[in-house]
Parts: sequence; C-alpha cells; structure tokens
Amino acid sequence: MHDPGTAAFPLPLLAQANGDDGSNAALVAFGLYVLGVLFIAWLSSRMQKKRGFLSEYFLGSRSLGVWAFALTFAATASSGGSFMGFPSKVYTHGWILALWIGSYMVVPIFVMGLMSKRLNQVARKTGAITIPDVLRDRFDCAKFGALSILLIVFFMSVNLVAQFKAGSIILQTLLADVPIFRSTVDGVAGAVGGIWFVRDVDPGYLTCLAVFAAVVVVYTTYGGFRAVVWTDVLQGFVMVLGIAILLPLALWKVGGLENATQSLARMTPPLLVELELATETARGQDLVIPKGTWLELVDPADGSRRIFRTKRRATIESGKTTATLRNAGKADTENIPAIEITVAEQIAEIQVKPLDARLTVSVLNARDYEYGGGRRGVYVTGPGPAADEDRGFLPLSLAVSFFFMWAFSGAGQPSYMVRMMAFKSSNTLRKAIFTVSIYYSLIYFPIVIIFCCARVFLPGWEIDSDRIMPEVAKTLTAAAGWPWLAGLLVAAPFAAVMSTMDSFLLMISSALVRDVYQRHINPGVSEKNLRRLTYVATLTVGVGAMLGALNPPAYLQDIIVYTGSGLAACFLAPVFAALYWPRANATGAFAGMAGGFICHLSLYAGGFWMYQGFRPIRLFNFDPILPGLVASAVLTVVVTLRTAPPPEAQVRKFFYR
Amino acid sequence: MPTDTPPSQPGESLDPVFVHARREAFLILGLFALCFLWAIPVCWFSGYLGAGEEATSISTILGVPSWTFWGIAMPWIAVDIFTVWFCFFYMKNDDLGETADADTLDGAPGAGEARDA
Repeated sequence: MHDPGTAAFPLPLLAQANGDDGSNAALVAFGLYVLGVLFIAWLSSRMQKKRGFLSEYFLGSRSLGVWAFALTFAATASSGGSFMGFPSKVYTHGWILALWIGSYMVVPIFVMGLMSKRLNQVARKTGAITIPDVLRDRFDCAKFGALSILLIVFFMSVNLVAQFKAGSIILQTLLADVPIFRSTVDGVAGAVGGIWFVRDVDPGYLTCLAVFAAVVVVYTTYGGFRAVVWTDVLQGFVMVLGIAILLPLALWKVGGLENATQSLARMTPPLLVELELATETARGQDLVIPKGTWLELVDPADGSRRIFRTKRRATIESGKTTATLRNAGKADTENIPAIEITVAEQIAEIQVKPLDARLTVSVLNARDYEYGGGRRGVYVTGPGPAADEDRGFLPLSLAVSFFFMWAFSGAGQPSYMVRMMAFKSSNTLRKAIFTVSIYYSLIYFPIVIIFCCARVFLPGWEIDSDRIMPEVAKTLTAAAGWPWLAGLLVAAPFAAVMSTMDSFLLMISSALVRDVYQRHINPGVSEKNLRRLTYVATLTVGVGAMLGALNPPAYLQDIIVYTGSGLAACFLAPVFAALYWPRANATGAFAGMAGGFICHLSLYAGGFWMYQGFRPIRLFNFDPILPGLVASAVLTVVVTLRTAPPPEAQVRKFFYR
Repeated sequence: MPTDTPPSQPGESLDPVFVHARREAFLILGLFALCFLWAIPVCWFSGYLGAGEEATSISTILGVPSWTFWGIAMPWIAVDIFTVWFCFFYMKNDDLGETADADTLDGAPGAGEARDA
C-alpha cells in the first residue's frame, strides 16, 4: 500500500510509460545545427559585399552549381512533412503510402525539367530576379506583375504562419522528453504569465516558437538566398544520411522485410476506446498518468489480456479517485481516450509493468476504425485503414489526385521556380535533375519501408504518430548500441522545416522590396537604402509571421495543402504558356491566373460553408488542385485566343534569335 | 496549341533553346502520362481490397508487396534509368545567354556567370 502522502506512481511504470531516458541528444543535435546555419549565414553575408546586392541576396547571382541547385531544390521540396508527417502516415496506414507518394518517381524530372531551361533563359533576357519580374517583363504588363505579387504575398504569408506553427510543434515534439527543455519551459511559463498576449499560449510551444523563429529569421535576413541554399545543402546531406542509417537498422530489427510485410498482413487496426481510470481511495496529492501509458486488463476467468495505451495525459487530483482529462476551453472529462491493441502477437509480447493495485481500468466504450476495423490485410493493401473515413485512407479518386498533385503542384510553386532562375548553365541543370532523381529514390521509398517495419517493433504509436520518427531513431540506435546517433537523426526534421520556411520568407520579402517598392514606389532607391530595406522587410515579415503563429488558426495541415495547391492552380498554366506559347498574351495569362485562384478558392469556401470546417468540396472526389489547374489552363487558352495577339516585337524577343 | 507565330525575318529563326526546351517538356509530359497510366491501374487492380475482403497473407517480391513492386518500385527504377538517358543523351546543352543589365541598382552590369555556390 502506498502512503497517501508520498509521491505518486510506481517509478518503473512512469519510466516505461513516458519513455524518458534522460537523453539530451535531440537538444545537442538542434544546437549544433543552429550553430551551423548561423555560420553559413555569416559566410553568405560576406559574399553580398562583393556582388550586386539584389541579385546576390535574392538569386545568388545566378551562380548555383550542381550540388547547390540539386540539394536546394530537394530540400525546399522536403518540408517537415517529409520527415514527420509522411512517416506518421506510413506508420498509421501501411504500404498504401507507396502509392500516395508514387508520383515522386517523376517529380525531379517533371518539376526541374519541364520549365527550368526556358525560365532561366527568359529571366536572363530581362535581368529578372523574381517571378513577378519574369511575368511582368515577358508580357510587358505591370498589372499582371501586380496580380502575381498579390498572390505570392497572400499564399506565402498564410503558409509561413502555418510553417512557423508546424516547426514549433515539431521542435516541441522532439524535445518533449529532454530535462533541460522541460525546466526551460517552466521558467518561460513563470516569466510570461503576466504578459497579456502570450499568457494563454502553451509555454512549451511558445519557447519553441521563439527559438525556431529567431534562428530562421536571423540567418535568412542576414544571409539571403545563398545562406538559404547552403543550409539546404547541409539539410540534404543530413536527410540522406539519416535514412541510410535507419534503413538497415530497421530491417535488422524486424528480421527482414519479408517478415515485416507478412506481420503487417496479419495486423488489424487498434480499437478506439475511452477508459475510466480510478484508485480505490483518494490520494493526498495529484497523480499524473502520462500520455502513452500502457495499461492492462486481465480476465480472471481465462487469463486473457487486454492491452491499452492512453492518448492524453490524465490526472487523479488530490482528494479524488477518478482520473480526469483537462480540456482547454471545454469541461473536464473522466473519459480518457486510448487505443486497444488488437493484434494477438503484440498482445502476447507487450510487457506492462504491474500497476498500483488500487488503479482500476474500466472500458467505457470502444469503436472500430471506420475502414479496416477488425480486417486483416488492410496494412498491406489499398485503400489502407482509416479511423474516421469509411472509404479508407486512399480511395482511387484521391490516389489519382495525389499522383497529379505532387508533380503539378511542385512545377507550379514560385519558390521552386525562383531556384530554376538561379542555376548557372544547362549542364548544371542536367546533372542536377539526375542528382535529385537518385536522391529522391534514396529517401522516399526507403521511408515507406522503415516505417512499415516500425509498426512491427514499435506498436501503439497511433496515439501520437507524429512522434514516430524520433521514436524510431531512438529505438534503433539504442538497439544498435549507438544511442548518441539519435541526435543526428532527429536533426533531419528540424532541418527540413527550416529549409522550407526560409524560402517562403525570402519569397515574400523579395516581392515587397523588389516587385513593390523598387519597381513601383521608388525606382531610384540607392543600393545602400535597398540593402537596409531588404533586411528590415525580411526581419519584419519573419517577426510578423511569428506573432501570427502565437495564436494560429486550427486546420494547420489543411492550410498548408490549400496554399501549396492554390499557388500551383494560379501559376502553372500561365507560366507554362508564357514560356512555350508565342501566341500567349497578358490578358489570357491574367485570366488563367485569376481563374485558377477563384476556382480553387471557391471549392474551399464552399466546403467551409457546407462542412463548417476547413475542408474543400471535392468535385467527383478529386482534390481541388485538379479543377483549379483545369480552370486555369482552359481560361489561359480560351481568353488568349479570343483577344488580340501579343506585339510582334515581344514575340521576336522571346522566341526568335 | 495554335502558335500564330509571326513570319520570321531574314536571318531570323526560332530560338533553338525554345525549340529544344519545348520538345523536352513534351517528352516529360508524355513520361508523366505513362507513369500515371501504369501505376494507378496496376495498384488499383492488384493492390486494393474489395468490400469486406481480407488478406491474411500477401504475395511479395523481395519483401515488398507484389502490387507495390510492380506498380511503384519497378516504374521508379525505370524512370531513374530514363532520367539518365534524358539528362546525358537527349537533353541539349543549350547556351542560356548572358543576363541583361536590367537591375542597374545592383552596381556591376549583369551578374553573369560566377563561381559555384
């Protein structure tokens, strides 16, 4: 019997439940990576002094070589989603993710090969530094340039806030078990308690946001495009090294891929349950049951076991006997959400530490996954299990949508287009396309393998699948006898998010400084003032996005998808027409850009009204990017053909020699 | 796409960079279409469960489910091979030209070619 006055839970159970091994490896890795990027920013700023400021700051003086071009492209394309979200989905839904990511087989050649050469050439003809520069100069139309600026600033700003939040959450997830981080968070909580606009923000999130934002804003502001590119190169090496280490370790851990796949074939999805957790008598102080606690129910009649894992942190308050869940902004509840393992092999293998005899577990309700519940084989086939979708994770229509999305969305992103303006020769382009193809082959398919294997050796992480990547890194490196290596591997998600955020930040500041200020407000601005203005703009946008992320909107991932697909729907068709169709004119391109935006936005706005949430209308169950692209392309062609052809001089300049 | 290209003047022809880039772009679009028309049907017909179906074991090749192997892994390798051919034997090594002196506020006229980043 425990003395009510003493500390709460049996320590072994707490240690087993929250996985705390006292390691600061993640913090050390983050610290080293931060020092690395700040050093790169310093080096890069020295180069700005030697060259024309604007073209160096925003375009690296069009001097990117093979490795820089290849890895900046690859790293910008791989955001935190690649190293947190994608592994999370693989773990949750199984082998079907190979089809979900399938069009990445053509993404390098498609995105880099479709328009790069012509875009680079056209940009050189006019001395363009930004995408709005290219569009305005190609059609000699200031209005069209202005529309593209507005769209870039709109989409990128929204996305930047979302990325700041995503980055902070990733950092918070990765550092959650680090003792120094936890004590820092406690200190921050005490310090900001009296500040009105941050006192309701989770102190752990606030700490991570401040640190993350400060690092990204400082090195991007100070270092410009070249710092962004070099950090991408650094990130590129970190990512491929991480996968190269994890893949053989994962296969060794599960006894080979055949074994893992057949194990997955026998698996059924967990049950989604709600539990009541209670002690026999009230305690003298709060008893915390951490998120991820393993619990066991044994049937006395036949000795059969039921294994659960909690999804949220619960507390048995002093003087009470039943655990409650504190819901921010809502009433507390005694229904503790959890999952129940349904796989016989895993139930037999999972060893749960004996509980305090006075803690009883009652199952209040349980439900199956909407698709795949109780069915074997769902993790090795399509559409894949889904907790809340009765059509499964990837029905055919969505599979088609994603196959188009990765390739076409990528080709239509202004942040990739600007990199296509920065490489130094066709030879660089050819080698870079080849390099990125091999690079993606070494990353994406192996991730599917690694995290399918993870379902076998790390059960129960449906409770917080976004943490699966650092958990896999920790487990595999510890099993191999190299626990310090986990620190290197968790640097990959940090690096991935940073490399995406810095590109967006630079896109927005270039639009404001070059496209708005220099082109329209003060064309005669001196270089010294331009430099100062650029630093101020980049810093201001970064700080603004950070403040926006203090109280960010919900539906974070949906917003990121919206902005990415929205940009493609607006830009791809008009830019393609500008580069390859001599008959294209400003009116048609303008219509295509505006039409793509309106169509895409309408599907989201309509969905928001119909479903009362950030969820689009899916025409024929296709993602809005498809109708948006179609609308943009059709309008570009139809309006162009029904309006006057472009001036002959313009066509000769860009299509003849 | 109807081009309505103006008649060329004496000594003038279509920019070869434009011609080569356009040809390469259409080949890439064709490659995408081929990958789509292969991957989706193969995965759908051999990898998707019917209503109420179960699969307690799965046929595999090198540990990868067969539908994934033939639908995704093999075409991925094929595209990589195609990419090698495209990049080193098909794509033209066009001269992209010098940078125009548009942003005079940068000081030196035309950033031009500089050393590797």
